[in-house]
Amino acid sequence: MIRRASITARLTLLFAAAATAVLLALGLLIGDAVEQHFVEQDMEVLSGKTQLAANLLAQLRSPVDSSALLRQLDDSLVGHHGLAVVVLDAEGKRVFATPNAAFPDVMLNPAAGSSKPRSWTQAGQPWRGMVTLLPTGNRESPPMLVAVAVDISHHEHFMESFRRTLWLFVAIAAILVGFLGWVVVRRGLAPLQAMRRDAASVTANRLDTRLSLDAVPVELAELAESLNQMLARLEDSFQRLKDFSSDLAHELRTPISNLMTQTQVALTRARSADEYREVLVSNAEEYERLARMIGDMLFLAQADHGLVVPSREPVDLALQVRELFDFFDALAEEKGLQLTLTGSGQVSGDKLMLRRALANLISNAIRHTPAGGSIRVGIEACNEGTRLSVENSGEPIPQEQMSRIFDRFYRGDASRHGGGEGAGLGLAITRSIIRAHGGEISVRSGTAGVCFELRMA
Amino acid sequence: MKLLVVEDEPKTGDYLRQGLVEAGFVVDLARDGVDGLHLGETGDYDLAILDVMLPKLDGWQVLAGLRRAGREMPVLFLTARDQVEDRVKGLELGADDYLVKPFAFAELLARVRTLLRRGSRNQEPQQMRAADLELDLLRRRASRGGRHIDLTAKEFALLELLLRRQGEVLPRSLIASQVWDMNFDSDTNVIEVAMRRLRAKIDDGFDTKLIRTVRGMGYVLEAESA
Repeated sequence: MIRRASITARLTLLFAAAATAVLLALGLLIGDAVEQHFVEQDMEVLSGKTQLAANLLAQLRSPVDSSALLRQLDDSLVGHHGLAVVVLDAEGKRVFATPNAAFPDVMLNPAAGSSKPRSWTQAGQPWRGMVTLLPTGNRESPPMLVAVAVDISHHEHFMESFRRTLWLFVAIAAILVGFLGWVVVRRGLAPLQAMRRDAASVTANRLDTRLSLDAVPVELAELAESLNQMLARLEDSFQRLKDFSSDLAHELRTPISNLMTQTQVALTRARSADEYREVLVSNAEEYERLARMIGDMLFLAQADHGLVVPSREPVDLALQVRELFDFFDALAEEKGLQLTLTGSGQVSGDKLMLRRALANLISNAIRHTPAGGSIRVGIEACNEGTRLSVENSGEPIPQEQMSRIFDRFYRGDASRHGGGEGAGLGLAITRSIIRAHGGEISVRSGTAGVCFELRMA
Repeated sequence: MKLLVVEDEPKTGDYLRQGLVEAGFVVDLARDGVDGLHLGETGDYDLAILDVMLPKLDGWQVLAGLRRAGREMPVLFLTARDQVEDRVKGLELGADDYLVKPFAFAELLARVRTLLRRGSRNQEPQQMRAADLELDLLRRRASRGGRHIDLTAKEFALLELLLRRQGEVLPRSLIASQVWDMNFDSDTNVIEVAMRRLRAKIDDGFDTKLIRTVRGMGYVLEAESA
């Protein structure tokens, strides 16, 4: 199971981790700085004492002077109980040593000469010291090794307690920051909660609800807007579906009501055989229309569930159009319409379905072209593959009808009784077929007439 | 000609039987798959009309049983579901044709006659006639009462269809499919217009009208009006 961490928890954790990291780095930096400060202090003492010894050694003219030197050295160190000094001659003999002198042996090697300052622990006591090779006043005698060290245990103690306090503060601060972060995140995400509440109030009956954009922070505004657009699309689709259902009921109600009235009126009294026949014939026509509508509806319902193109084969569009012209020839001639075809092209698809799609386009054009007009079908190559346009002269389609022209049961003239003409499903079927083939259909309308255009591969 | 109809819907079954009997067939009607299969296995039928959804045994099973029993008569399926898979299944099982409900009775009748004719393919006639109308199939010429009639290719094909099936009421959908290869219902009145134009050429100026509109059903060409 995948656990979905909440944004609040995630942000709080990230915030706390970042704060802790910063505090830790800060703590380390402060600790180091303080320690560095102590080291510098110690070094000052050490170099001071070394300088003192250097001065004294410089006054040394002969080995005889050494006892005086030692006394002076001893004097100058009085009151510095934390100080340890050792002076070695060239042979490594201790010329002078304070009682607490505790240097590691490696440091007290005249052959090694001066060594860098370092710290160590001797007999449980921490020290910091340095060793310097210093020339004496006597040119003949070799330089002497002076080792100076300070007891740094009080510094160490201080650092220890300082660090303890520091880390305690860091820990408390981290926890505090984490908590504050949680509070801030929760407050920051409050608009999300508000959006959630808004969204929860959207139902099928209240699709007109929109998320309010005023209270939403910039970062969420885009999301809210996208959601609102989604809602708008849903509302539109839902509205179409609702219209469609009521249209369907209406479309069924009209012929069935005709059938019922007609039949029942016929049954109210005895009639001649011819009259009965008339009723039955009229009924048969009505039934036929109903059956055709149901067939078309089923086709569209299948299309809604992802219509599959049963077979794909190369289809010669020009040939199809010519055959359709042949079919509609009588009708066009009666209306005095001129049918023309230019260009040619091939697409891959189901011949029967494509023929049906084209037949709907052409019969639609024939229906809406005034007598004496013309219908031009053009086929040409385009980026997407092939473009086929069906253009007819006549009245342009009003702009507000353009978007609905492919809707089911939509008839441009808004009249329900087009004198037995189409049920308004033809263009919807055409679009379904073209889409199932991965193509697209569009309609343009101008003063010269109306042009349907389909593009597919 | 003896037909077997297997249909469980009572009204549909009764009207199918009545319609087919009135069209001159001998009809046995079974109400479920088991009865239907039994009748089909024991009787001698020229054609079977099977509903797909049947109690006890469905139409596919009845068909399979008939074929197992060595019955090779043509089978026409009636189905309420127009699914591609159904069609494929039916054809794989050896069905000869199918009709989706609701269908026009004239369409059913025309299909039945087509299937029955398929088995007994006669010598292709070179000439066809009805009363004083003559059609020369080789020279693609039509004449009535010795007078030449000028027809377009499609008008000729239409007239040929009507003559070939003289006396049969041909529904519009069948005409569209046979003459123009339009195998879908079109809500235009193309066929009416084409028919009107053909009639103008064939019947105008003659006392005996050969082509007749059967309202609500289709068109028929008859030498003697019944």
